[in-house]
Amino acid sequence: MTQILAQSAMAECWACDTQNDPAAYLCAACGKLLPSDSTDYFALFGLTHRLTLDVAALEKQFYRLSRKLHPDLYTRASKEKRQWSLEKSALLNDAYRALRDPIARTEYLLETEGIRLEEQSRDATDAARATGTDKQQVIPPDMLEEVFELNMQLEEVRMAAASNSQDPELMANLEVAEKNFTAQMEALQQQLESLWAAWDRALADNDAATKDAAKQAMVALLNRRSYIRNLVRDVRQALGKS
Amino acid sequence: MAYSDKVLDHYTHPRNVGQMDKGSAEVGTGLVGAPECGDVMRLQIKVNPETQVIEDAKFKTFGCGSAIASSSLATEWVKGKTVEEAMQIKNTDIVKELSLPPVKIHCSVLAEDAIRAAIGDWKKKNGVQESSAAPMVATAH
Repeated sequence: MTQILAQSAMAECWACDTQNDPAAYLCAACGKLLPSDSTDYFALFGLTHRLTLDVAALEKQFYRLSRKLHPDLYTRASKEKRQWSLEKSALLNDAYRALRDPIARTEYLLETEGIRLEEQSRDATDAARATGTDKQQVIPPDMLEEVFELNMQLEEVRMAAASNSQDPELMANLEVAEKNFTAQMEALQQQLESLWAAWDRALADNDAATKDAAKQAMVALLNRRSYIRNLVRDVRQALGKS
Repeated sequence: MAYSDKVLDHYTHPRNVGQMDKGSAEVGTGLVGAPECGDVMRLQIKVNPETQVIEDAKFKTFGCGSAIASSSLATEWVKGKTVEEAMQIKNTDIVKELSLPPVKIHCSVLAEDAIRAAIGDWKKKNGVQESSAAPMVATAH
């Protein structure tokens, strides 16, 4: 995506002939709305693919751009410009929603890198079926073992607590489990942020090997996170907290 | 979302829930997961060493109703089949049988993965080569 942008020719403003970046949606010189083909969320905000970003600044920029791109401003403009405004506004909303959320932002970045988390299992199954071999699990076996074990323990405590909800010891066990899973979620968040930093550095250095390593680590982390998230949800449900 | 009657039946009356001895040479264990939804599934088969027929199957799944139903159905289907026959079970067969909606297809994929993983584990334990099993299938009939 970024490569395509870098290689494309400059785009000329229809109003003042200024040469603009093809990803630009507003002319740098006259501020007029431009017909941009770029759908990159980061580019829409004038950002590179850095993952560490200032969410407060992102919000400010979102409101600033929203005001400039809003279809209400173009009700009397040509059909083309009304269409651009509509498209850009919708894109801007999607982009903001994705980028402000740490997980959605990471998933979006991985998607721009050709990694779609929701398809990893199916791709691996297709490959296994085609070769008649075992599926290459996207989750490392020891992590699956651990997750399975945690689920077993949680189920045990939940069943015991359900049949004897007055037992303070059983409920205390559930509380401990909740604390443990919540702490793991927080730890994952911190690990994710350090992977962002690694990615950002590799991006700046244009270091392909480190970029790949960071991507793979982020995929593994997000996979693990969805398991821990379910455990948090289940334990809270058992405690009557959700 | 409404579950089909068959899913509900398997979900409320899951068949073959449980576990077998992981250490036994006759038992193959498959532990698989679908990270996109946080499901995890363990499927075990017990294979007759003479006939290569799967004599028993057990599962334990943590996940949604469709994942539980898919694995429950998978254990029913593999029982009585040879390992090579069981390898032919496709997730689309499960989708059809349970009338799974598109958003739940990954559950059937998981069940197919679990069958293959369990068979793979059994083969590894018993030194069976992946592709040389054809003559042994013939003796099973």
